[in-house]
Amino acid sequence: MIEIKNVSKWFGDFQVLKNINEVIRQNQTVVVCGPSGSGKSTLLRCINGLEPFQQGEIIVGGVKVNDPKTNIYKLRQKIGMVFQRFELYPHMTALQNITLAPIKVLKLSKKEAEERAMKLLERVGIPEKANEYPANLSGGQQQRVAIARALAMEPEYMLFDEPTSALDPEMIKEVLDVMIDLAKEGMTMLCVTHEMGFAREVADEILFMDYGQIVERGTYEEFFKNPKTERAKDFISHILH
Amino acid sequence: MFDAVFRNFSFLMGGLLITFKLAACALAGGIPLGILVGLGRISKNKWIYYPVTYYVNFIRNIPLILVIFWFYFVMPIITGSSIDPFPSAVVSFIVFEATYFGEIFRAGYQSISKDLVNAAFATGLTYSQTVRYITVPIAFRRMMPSLITQSIVTLQDTSLAFVIGLPELVRRASIVDNLEVRSIQLFGFVAITFFIICYTGSKISRYYEEKVRKANIL
Repeated sequence: MIEIKNVSKWFGDFQVLKNINEVIRQNQTVVVCGPSGSGKSTLLRCINGLEPFQQGEIIVGGVKVNDPKTNIYKLRQKIGMVFQRFELYPHMTALQNITLAPIKVLKLSKKEAEERAMKLLERVGIPEKANEYPANLSGGQQQRVAIARALAMEPEYMLFDEPTSALDPEMIKEVLDVMIDLAKEGMTMLCVTHEMGFAREVADEILFMDYGQIVERGTYEEFFKNPKTERAKDFISHILH
Repeated sequence: MFDAVFRNFSFLMGGLLITFKLAACALAGGIPLGILVGLGRISKNKWIYYPVTYYVNFIRNIPLILVIFWFYFVMPIITGSSIDPFPSAVVSFIVFEATYFGEIFRAGYQSISKDLVNAAFATGLTYSQTVRYITVPIAFRRMMPSLITQSIVTLQDTSLAFVIGLPELVRRASIVDNLEVRSIQLFGFVAITFFIICYTGSKISRYYEEKVRKANIL
């Protein structure tokens, strides 16, 4: 369970997050949407401690993220993250990208880590790309390697930060299919995305963010058929057209 | 036409060996220290950032020859015991070259996107593991041409150790010249020797640059 309590964050004078209160329950898939600059990515980065915040608290699986006594490195092992621009290590092959953290952090042997990595590459459908460098992979393939890299730590939670926005249209599906499988297997997921087909298929709930606030929270049906606020109505009219 | 050179060839080559030894020591110390200096220059901790930045700005704004002099003549006054030219020159070069290598590494680190580092952190890697397996290797590869160029400059700079009497190539050519009075051929030979070594080095740098570009791995 991810608990976000009264979280506010400022960049200088600019308040990016305004008093956020949300709970993401175990095995839930929650989609976060909203206009760019509304604080979605920042909220994700606060959850695994990549960004500090000035007020409130975030508790992941009973562990407080913004507690100086928390071993943030240990907590991050339980929280996988996938980025918009893939962020694969360019000097390592796909296989090395996936095995680095299991070997260095979990202290698996190289053989164990590679077996685990190959299983994951098969799961995301590109075992034949194990020894390719990221520059020789398509965007969709890179993003699937990035998902495999996150899964190699066997996380309990997955954060997705616009995982398909940097992809060509024909590659979006191959990444979404992997995410849909994950959601159906019961992974606890928080996904910043505008892929509403994905939201309809697997999202338990949708959070709509604007100007650093969560403006609406509801199921796909509630949000799209019956948005409560003008801002949400306006946003929906823009993404569906 | 190179008669004085041939007569003293092994003496001169002994000087070249010292030149190489000094350059090797300067690089073996200057590059690792430069890796740390570069990290200090991007540190968010002001207790690290400011001292390192003052060090870099200070050293980069005084001539190398003064650094060499300073170590050789001032250190004995401070420590009370005299110091040999070679270790003194090695320390001066490490202190000096590390600032230049540090700025090269800083540029390399800054070329790495923040989210690439975040991606490493997100898998549970610690700061030092991220530096060791991600930041430094990528900066090293990206900055390889600049690192080779600066290494060539370091090799050329070693001739300045001449001023504290270190018998490297230039110093030895000068000793031979005092006996044989063949300045043009002796210093011509030294120039050609440096040119061949450094030109080869710059060719290797170019070759590596092309190779990385073609392999498209960064």
